[in-house]
Amino acid sequence: MLDKKTSDQIVADLTSHIKLSMGFKVWMAFLSVSLLVCLYAYFLQLRDGMIVTGLGDYVSWGMYLANFVFFVATSLIGMLISAVLSLLNQKWAAPLARIAEIIALAFAAVAGLVIIMDMGHPERLLNVFIHGRIQSPIVWDVTVVTIYVLISALFLYIPLLPDLKICSEKLTNIPPFARKIYTLLSLNWSGTTEQKNLIKKSTGALSIFIIPVALAIHTVTSWLFANTSRAGWDSTIFGPYFVIGAFVAGTAAVVVAMFVFRKAFNLEEYITDFHFDKIGKLLVLVSLLYLYFNINEYMVPAYKMKHADAFHIQTLFTGSYAPLFWATQILGLILPIILLILKPMRKPLPLLIISIFVILGAWFKRYIIVVPTMEHPFLPVQNVPINFKVYSPTLIEIGVTIAPMIMAVLIITILSKVIPVIPIHETLEHRNEQEK
Amino acid sequence: MTTNQKYNQFIAFLIFSFVINASLSSRNWKAPDDQKDKNSYIKFDASTAAQGEAIYNANCASCHGNPGKNNALKSLNPIPPDLSSTASQSLTDGELIYILNNGAGLMPSFKNSLGEEKEWMVISYLRGFNKNYIQELSKFDPAKSKLVKLVSSFDKASNSIIVNATADEKNGKIAIVGAEISVFVKRYFGNFQIEKALKTDASGLAKFSFPTDLPGNKNGDLEVLVKLYDENYGEVQVTKTYSIGVPTDKPGLNEDRAIWNTLVKAPLWIIGLYATGLISFLLLLAFLLNNLRGIFNSKV
Repeated sequence: MLDKKTSDQIVADLTSHIKLSMGFKVWMAFLSVSLLVCLYAYFLQLRDGMIVTGLGDYVSWGMYLANFVFFVATSLIGMLISAVLSLLNQKWAAPLARIAEIIALAFAAVAGLVIIMDMGHPERLLNVFIHGRIQSPIVWDVTVVTIYVLISALFLYIPLLPDLKICSEKLTNIPPFARKIYTLLSLNWSGTTEQKNLIKKSTGALSIFIIPVALAIHTVTSWLFANTSRAGWDSTIFGPYFVIGAFVAGTAAVVVAMFVFRKAFNLEEYITDFHFDKIGKLLVLVSLLYLYFNINEYMVPAYKMKHADAFHIQTLFTGSYAPLFWATQILGLILPIILLILKPMRKPLPLLIISIFVILGAWFKRYIIVVPTMEHPFLPVQNVPINFKVYSPTLIEIGVTIAPMIMAVLIITILSKVIPVIPIHETLEHRNEQEK
Repeated sequence: MTTNQKYNQFIAFLIFSFVINASLSSRNWKAPDDQKDKNSYIKFDASTAAQGEAIYNANCASCHGNPGKNNALKSLNPIPPDLSSTASQSLTDGELIYILNNGAGLMPSFKNSLGEEKEWMVISYLRGFNKNYIQELSKFDPAKSKLVKLVSSFDKASNSIIVNATADEKNGKIAIVGAEISVFVKRYFGNFQIEKALKTDASGLAKFSFPTDLPGNKNGDLEVLVKLYDENYGEVQVTKTYSIGVPTDKPGLNEDRAIWNTLVKAPLWIIGLYATGLISFLLLLAFLLNNLRGIFNSKV
């Protein structure tokens, strides 16, 4: 289909969304107002202290930590699509690489903020640098998340250089200062062989280096849990279990972003049903792997039923967390797998609906990993009020939890308004190769 | 009778005996008559009550709750009594300090952890909840305890600590006879008592045979605490260091490099791995920035 289009038409198509449309302004206004409401909730938390949350002595990691794990998880998709699939020479994923990188950057950048929101005194973050011990997974987590944000930013920026040049040349309807910024950021790109080689070398190095870093960020995040002996966390497979779970959440997030960008930016010819079908298959693959890890993670302790584990597992399987647990497993994992095996379900709209369920499931799955364990300490809980024993998040807490979600969507929205979400340079090169 | 029934009977018996035992032990104390009439040598006033309140909150409130607030620890059997209640306040000062010194039921003795002066302050605080209370002061003069001279020495032949208690009275030095002497060795937490408390003999001496296997520090030093309690002279204690323990040189667990240790004592392999990761990232960053410089400077 693209063969019939001239280069100029393709450039026009792929840059057409870089403008301040009415829809964008309304959407941004909506996001900003929602963010302000949520930030007010955070202000209340800062003013009155953590007492406004449902957190306490026993459940000190609640919704915020579940949210943090979800954000780190979703950000891993940048590595899977941009690095792993490109190293495996999966050409179909090339147009989706930038979307995946935008999601990775937005979610990784916000993940750190989620932790700060979990702290009563945000300035105490400095204690990690003043008193941090190199032996502590918390120090490793801060290190690798920071590195991942930097690498994701570079991984987004370096392949973008040719497109920034195109933007500065072809976008005539934008203010001159904006064009100047594009020119400045494009670093004198003129398409010389030397420049192309340097980009190739850089992205090659990044694709390889980002894989261990991405694995590290989520493995270290899982170690924050697995390096303790608490029931439900004391597991040797927590690293890979988290990583695969992350691919599920991230792939579903990419599907949603693909659908929205395709509709909003008229990219039907660039993000086709073929891409949805392919990424649907990828979602089945990672979901099946995740199902395998889930069976492992619950089967082994449930077979042995050691005292504390038994209590924990009974709460999940038949106790107070059973409705949430089974809803998450069935609606967020098992049904999506069954449905996505069928080809018609991998069409854009059904895939979008399934992906939304997968994302919701992914968020609540993290909640199930974090909270029930904290409610079951090894020592008996005696003579405390009921609200110490059972955790229920407050409205303010929910507001503070939603804030980073809005921030991530805000970052994605802004990035998608200033850079082409489909790589123009690569699309043109790909077409030229096909013509030959 | 099935095994199950037998088992149930056994459990019922256990519960029964526990209840009986607990209810017995709750009134298992009775102050001897000479203790019952004991009075404080400290005059109860606002200051002693305030000090007593702090001691009470730190040591007593966790079980007894706050007086008059009905917040005692309900999971204990029997439930610790509210000390502002009529029943508690009807006890004499002597009975109260007897319980504090000896414990009752589940309640431990506070004799060694608080000492008599602090115990009286707690009683001073508790008496504030009783409007009808009128203090009777003891005839004991606290200045008398300043006269006590408590000397301990170690007798190598019999491997024992010999304590000599005398008092510098106006009419000369006299031996304190029949005073209660306890000897302790200081541990990391609390004291380890050597033998039982003994009474001084006619010449004011008490002899404690000392164990030969107590671990000391590198030089075998042990800090020995000697405590005297006498009706006339009150409470006096002295500490002295003796090299009579087994020399023990065990380096602390936190002196070597270990994963649980401080940053400066981190294991080398962790420092190595962390540094390798960080350096690789910095090298990659340098490589990428150099490439970007190359792109920027590239001539058409």
